[in-house]
Amino acid sequence: MAAFLASLNFSDPYFAVLVLLVIALAMAVGFVFLSQALGPKRYDRIKFDVYECGVDPKTPAAVRVSVKFYLLALLFLLFDLETTFLYPWAVLYRSLGLFGFLEMAVFVGILLVGLVYAWKKGALEWQ
Amino acid sequence: MFLGNLGSLAYFLPELAVTATILLLVVLHVASKRKTSSAPAFLALVGVGASILLAGVSPPGEGKAIFEGMAAYDGFAVFFKVLTAFATLVVILMSMDSGELAGRSKAEYFIFLLATLLGMFLLSSATDIVMLYLSLELVSIPSYLLAGYLKGKERSTEAAMKYVVFGATASGVMIYGFSLLFGMAGSTQTAEIGRVLAAGKPALPVILAAVMVAVGFGYKIAAVPFHMWSPDVYEGAPTPATAFFSVAPKAAGFAVLVRFYYTVFAAHDAASGLWRITSSMDWPLLFAGLSAVTMTVGNLVAIKQENVKRLLAYSSIAHAGYMLMGFVLLSPAGIEAILFYLVVYLFMNLGAFYVVVLVGNSARGENLSDFTGLGSRAPFAAVALSIFLFSLTGIPPFSGFIGKVYLFAEVIHRGVYWLAVVAALNSVVSLYYYARIVRAMFLLEPKDPSAIPVPAVSGAMLVLLAAPTLVLGVYWEPVARFASASVKMLAF
Repeated sequence: MAAFLASLNFSDPYFAVLVLLVIALAMAVGFVFLSQALGPKRYDRIKFDVYECGVDPKTPAAVRVSVKFYLLALLFLLFDLETTFLYPWAVLYRSLGLFGFLEMAVFVGILLVGLVYAWKKGALEWQ
Repeated sequence: MFLGNLGSLAYFLPELAVTATILLLVVLHVASKRKTSSAPAFLALVGVGASILLAGVSPPGEGKAIFEGMAAYDGFAVFFKVLTAFATLVVILMSMDSGELAGRSKAEYFIFLLATLLGMFLLSSATDIVMLYLSLELVSIPSYLLAGYLKGKERSTEAAMKYVVFGATASGVMIYGFSLLFGMAGSTQTAEIGRVLAAGKPALPVILAAVMVAVGFGYKIAAVPFHMWSPDVYEGAPTPATAFFSVAPKAAGFAVLVRFYYTVFAAHDAASGLWRITSSMDWPLLFAGLSAVTMTVGNLVAIKQENVKRLLAYSSIAHAGYMLMGFVLLSPAGIEAILFYLVVYLFMNLGAFYVVVLVGNSARGENLSDFTGLGSRAPFAAVALSIFLFSLTGIPPFSGFIGKVYLFAEVIHRGVYWLAVVAALNSVVSLYYYARIVRAMFLLEPKDPSAIPVPAVSGAMLVLLAAPTLVLGVYWEPVARFASASVKMLAF
């Protein structure tokens, strides 16, 4: 222990960071246990209820979400990413020339097949 | 030298053929009125057949680094491309026969199958950890869909769910390992990471990375303790998909395991022709332990199984254990033994599953009791299944024996005697549960004595799979030569 303390260099700028880290950790963990140990404990039915900004909860929290939202989100993600690729391509369009055009055509074409598939399968209809 | 994107296309033809087939299948699926036609199956057959031909068309020679070092085009990759594409070809034919899939639209099924194949092509050639992760996911995600393809069947849905949860966890742990490697080496290229690690790095992060990556690959090859998903998935998935999982992604998993560990954590020593460990961790010992545990658990648990698909799942876990023996030896002959074993394993395992499909078509189940009296109900299929099972055991006239001889010989040659002893004991155990199926087929009275029809195409396929299982047991030289020529891995 003594050898370890002797090896510490207190003027190191990172030493302050280390001290800060230790204090922050001690405070965060310490207060959790302190409130557990010192706080009064009076449990009743209302304390065990779901907390909804003070209003009595009307329905259970676990609601079924329609699978259509996932389909739509998936399609959105797909075409959102496509635009992310299209922006830098559009900026560099002139310098990329015919090769860049064809490469992007292949990329968009593959995604287009996917869109046609989703369309035909009825993923875009909200019924 | 790295080839640029356009120049690489000439070495990317099998992948392009598979991609084009997938797109055509999608278009065909949405355009066609009849959802149960067999046109998608034929299109898939043509596409996969073309990819096999294209994979063999230009000899890899010393190998090339394609797509700016993202992937390698070398003998090792070509071997696995041909192997996995051939397995896919057999599985497509098996799926056309399967009663489980009858009445369902098969186009999407083939799309998933071919997408997995594309992933396996890339996985066996990936030389960059980003590419490697992407292709591993490309193998995994369509596999989840294949496992859950029997929509409405509870077991199938359960299989898909378990597969997703295990797969996500395993690849999460693996990519954490990758991030550690990237942090140490500052490069995503496996060869570059290998060079940096060889120069000396602190032991702890290297060990952590090696173990974490092993989780991802171990999951893919279903090695104990990452095997928990496989019996449930194998049981719930449609039988042709099970046959596929037990052969093709496992082979691709071995490809990436060997390529990754031998380039990142080992270096080739030109003088002795062997590899040596470069990092501070004795990972071959870790994998030798995994190998012993994998084959023991696989074989011991298989004894109690009543469902034949589940039994074959545990048997395929055990076979992954046998093949891992070749991986830990750091010698070209060890890898050669794995490659040879994968070829014979492909024929015998796909053959065994083919008979399970045929029995399942008439019995609507795959329990051991459905196989009783198969010797009189469908003598041809029963004899074929016996051949496959005895070959899986590794009994002399069959090819499984030669596969094991190669593995055992190299293990003994490199002096890892304890592993050879464990493997030999395991082979004895495996005889019991394989013979149990044979006993049910020939010695027990059938529940229902009616004959099981074996269509001509299925009969031809059984012959096609049984013939190599027998012939490779007496004349294996060409395959062994092909395997030893394919050990050349590109390192750049």
